[in-house]
This record gives sequence, C-alpha cells and structure tokens, in this order.
Amino acid sequence: MRADLYTAPALFILGAAMSYGGYVMDRLEIRQIHPASIPGLVPMLLGAALMLAAIVLFLQARNALASGPQPEADTGSTRDLVLTALSCGVYALLLVGNMPFPAATAIFVASFILIFEADPSKGKAHLARIAAIAIVLGVAVAAATSILFRYAFLVRLP
Amino acid sequence: MVFHAAWATLLGIAVGSLPGLTATMGVALLTTLTYSLPREAAILVLICMYVGAIYGGSRSAILLNIPGTPASAATTLDGFPLAKQGRAAYAMSVATTGSTLGTLVGIVMLVALAPALSELALKFGSFEYFWLAVFGVLISGQLTSGTTPVKGYIAGILGLMVAMIGSEGIHAHVRFSFGFDQLNGGIGLIPAMVGAFGFAEVLMVMWQPKAQVVRSEGEKGAGLPRFMEAWKYRVTVLRSGIIGTLVGLIPGVGEDIGAWASYAAARRKSKERDQFGKGSIEGLTAAETGNSAVVPGALIPALTLAVPGSAPAAVLIAALFIHGIRPGPMIMIEQPDFIYLVAVMLFFATVAIFIFGISLAPVFEFVLRVPRERLMPVVFTLCVIGPYALTQRIFDIWVMVFFGFLGFALRRLGYPMPPLVLGIILGDLLDKNLRRGLTLSDGDLSPFFTRPFSMVFVALIVITIMAGIPVVRRQVGRLSGALANRGRGT
Repeated sequence: MRADLYTAPALFILGAAMSYGGYVMDRLEIRQIHPASIPGLVPMLLGAALMLAAIVLFLQARNALASGPQPEADTGSTRDLVLTALSCGVYALLLVGNMPFPAATAIFVASFILIFEADPSKGKAHLARIAAIAIVLGVAVAAATSILFRYAFLVRLP
Repeated sequence: MVFHAAWATLLGIAVGSLPGLTATMGVALLTTLTYSLPREAAILVLICMYVGAIYGGSRSAILLNIPGTPASAATTLDGFPLAKQGRAAYAMSVATTGSTLGTLVGIVMLVALAPALSELALKFGSFEYFWLAVFGVLISGQLTSGTTPVKGYIAGILGLMVAMIGSEGIHAHVRFSFGFDQLNGGIGLIPAMVGAFGFAEVLMVMWQPKAQVVRSEGEKGAGLPRFMEAWKYRVTVLRSGIIGTLVGLIPGVGEDIGAWASYAAARRKSKERDQFGKGSIEGLTAAETGNSAVVPGALIPALTLAVPGSAPAAVLIAALFIHGIRPGPMIMIEQPDFIYLVAVMLFFATVAIFIFGISLAPVFEFVLRVPRERLMPVVFTLCVIGPYALTQRIFDIWVMVFFGFLGFALRRLGYPMPPLVLGIILGDLLDKNLRRGLTLSDGDLSPFFTRPFSMVFVALIVITIMAGIPVVRRQVGRLSGALANRGRGT
C-alpha cells in the first residue's frame, strides 16, 4: 500500500518520541527503587519496537511498489463519511455537556436522518414524511435513552 | 434468568445481523447498560449478547452476502449462493443447527480444559506473565492482519503504548500525562473500545455502499432444525467444534479465524470438495460450527489467565472486573463454581439462539431492512452515553471520539483492531511483570529464558515471528519438500 510509505516515517517518529520520553522519565532515585523497575523502561522498549516495525513496514511497502502495481483500495462515499464525522463530532464534542442531554440527542438524531434521507428532488411530500420520521425518532431516542440512564441506571446525565 | 437470557440473546442476534455492528461493540455497549444489574444477571446478559451476535452474523452473510460480524465471513461463501438459489431460510436453519452444536462442543471443552489450565497458570510467575502478554499481542497481530503481520504487530504496540499513559502499577508514577490531570488515571478501556469498535464502525458503515437483501419465501419446511444434515456431517461438526474451541484458546485470535480454519479443514477432508463456495451444506455447517465454538474457547484463557481469546472476550474481561469478578489463575480458588456457572450461561444462550433462530427467521430479515441512516445515530448515541455512564466524565466521550477516528483511519490503512484493544488490556500486565521480574532477579534477564514455562513461551514467540517472515516460510517449505523427497527415495 502506497500509504504505508508515509505512515511508516510517522510511526518511526512516534516510536522515537516514546523511547525518548521513557529515557528522560523520572528514575525515582530519591525513593531508592531498583533501577530495573524504573517507570520509563517499558516505554523505551515499546518505542524501540515501534521504530523497528516502522522500518520493516517501510521496506515492505517500497519492495511491493517496486515489484509492480498494487491492487486499488476499496472506495466508499467520502461525502457521507465527512457528513457523518461532522454530525457525530458536533453532537459528542459540542452539544453534549453544553445543553441538556435529551435536547442534544433529539437534535442530533433528527438532523442525522434529515441529512442522509431527505432528497429535495423528490418533492415536498417526501420531505414532509422524512421530517416527520426524523422528529419522531429523534424525540423517541432522546426520551428512551434519557429515561433509561437517569432512572434505571441512576446516571447524572450531562 | 430465563428472561435476561431471552432478551439479551435476541438483542445479540439483532446486533450481529446488522452489518457493521459487531459482537465486540454489542458487548461493549451492553456493558454500560448492566451496571445496575445483579452480578450473575449482568454476566449472563453479556454472554448471551456475545453468543447471539456471533450467531446473528450469519443472517446478513446469507441474505446480504455481507457478514454481519467478521466471524461470519466464511459463511458468505456457501450461505449466499444458497440464498440466491431461493434456499435462504434453509441455509439459515442449517446455520442455526451448526451454531448450536458448535457452541455445545465448545462448552464441553470449556468445562474440561478451564480447570486444568487454571491449575497450570497457578505455577506462572512474573516471568511467565510477561511472556504471556507478549505472546498474546504478537499472535493476535499475526493472525488478524490481512496482508502483512507487521501491521498487526504495530497495532498491538500502539495499544501497549496507550496502556502506558497514566499512573503505572508499581510505583504509581504518572507517565505521559503531558500536564492533563484527566490523563493521570490513564485511558479508560471502555471508552477506547467503544470508540475503536463502535464509532469507527458507524463511520465505516456510512462510508460503505448500501447492501441489498435477498428475500426468502415459499420454501417448504424452511425453518425446521437440520439435524439430518448435522448427523450426515457429524465428523465435520465435531472437527469444526474442536478447531473452533482451540482457535478460541489462542489470545486475541477470534471467531473469524475459527470459522476460516474450520472451513479450510472441512474443505480439505470433504468428499464434496467441488461444492464448496457454490452452496455447500457442509461448508456452511463447518463455518458456523467453527465460529460459534470459538466463543466458549475464547472464554477459557479469559477466565483462567485474564487473557482474552477474542475481542468480545476482551470486553467481557473488563465487564467482569466492573462487576467485581477477578478473572485469572485465582478464579478456581476464589470462586471455584464460576467457570461452571459460565458454562451454564453459555448453555442458556445456546438454547436461546436455537429457539430464536428456528422460530424468528422472518423477523431478522425485517431487522436487516432498517435503513442505516436511522440506525447509526441511535448506535452513536449509545456510544456517547455508554462510556459516560461509567465514570460520568465528559473526558471519556472525547476519548471515545478520538479512538473512533483513530480506529477508522487505522482500519482504512489495513491495521487490525483486536491487537490494539488487546494491547490496551495487556499493557499493564506486561509492564508490571517485566519490571517485577527484573527486580526479583536483580536485573538478571536469564530467568526470562531459562524457566520451563518461559522457555515454552519464548519458543512459541520465536516460531510465531519466524512464521510471519516470507523468506523463512519459503525456506521451511523448501526444506520440508526436500525431506519428503528424500523419504520417498529411501
């Protein structure tokens, strides 16, 4: 895979950073701990292992590209992916915690359905039907999850 | 108990039926819904979800040619051709019978093997536990990476690195928190897992094209159990059940490998080899028996060593800890009946999948017709509220979102997710036991290589790594070919 040629150096840098982080980590000499049990030992080893794996990945990717054309990766809808990521991100990172959970959930579920199902070219009747489904499902999901978590699981909702 | 087994298995079958929603995600999400249940009921619910989801994957494999969970990938090979021949309900009942028998074989092996393994594990020290953690991550990486083992290893190392964040287990020294107090406690397993499996799958499902359902109608006696087929292929059933359970024993390998290994063995031994891939009943039986037998198999190391045999078993271990059960070698001493209780729970789940599988085939066809645009926001809402409910920290929602995007990106680049999650789980075990072992030996590395169990693990690890190197594989093939020729010559 061509992308491996770019991810391998990134992984190598991450491994180097991890090893360095482990090396400069507090040795806890003041607590007189055994040098073999320093907290940075395993991070150093993991960083080294990641660097080694990144080198192998890079060499494999380079050899594979040199040996001929690679099979193309599966393709999907980038538009749908971006819209999903955006709507989920806005709900989880912005709405939840900044407004009551039931309201945030109802808005998210209804918007999600509208974004993906509403097709203006199919006319007003279609839009009205999808809007009705979106609102009903949004309110139902918000009510069901809120009641379940608040009263059955005794969770203080965000 | 019967009520809990019934609804959880039904929900599990529905989750497994829907492409994109895996057993791991189902168990992870349901864990967040079992906090308030009594301990035994909570574990029963999660086990029923696990068994139900693995079985449920066969529905969409047969009707959509898309495995509902990765475990059912081999089922598509013969299940979908049968559906295209108008025998979808027949294929579903063969799958039901195969899954039921596979789980039963696995339960028998669980009861037989788990106490012995637990006794063996009592002899393990820090040195062996270190190697066990290394072996778990390595073998998981090797067996779950599609093209090159190195990607599986990298996923495992990344998981171990995530486990290094936060307060370490020996001196309580905080590592890699970068000044964020929220990171002092480390990255929570549940938010990371729900993100990597739940949110990443929401993104994956919405990114991929929609699938079409094949209708099953007008088949005579379609929903009836297929015991005649099962008896005809009894050797295949037994072999697949044993292979599935043994595959389940290997840490982090999972149901998909169990199904493929059983399918490959059935094909090799079959008298109807040419039918495989064209709607073979034997192939379908082998795949479904194999993947279902992995479930009890995966629970054997999970219960006795606290090392998961599969990704859903990994979540189950986390759930056991949450509910106050400490899986590991001490389980047979602290709770000697627990393994047998789990076997009974698995039996309940098996009876439930049999009854629901035979009686509710049309209902699951209906579930498959729910548009993904309406289902995915509901799943994501549970992904958000589930991890939050455990700690009631907004930070855990951020962790879930981060791991969702990371999981999607890694999956698109060909990195498997099970080693990543296994790395997060086993990181603490590896870290503590390496440092504890070195302290015990005063910095001497030799006990890691000279103690009998350690030697076995080291040998297994070397063989595993060597088997992943193409040049070594070719040389071994050549050498064995030459030896075979010499044997024939003499």
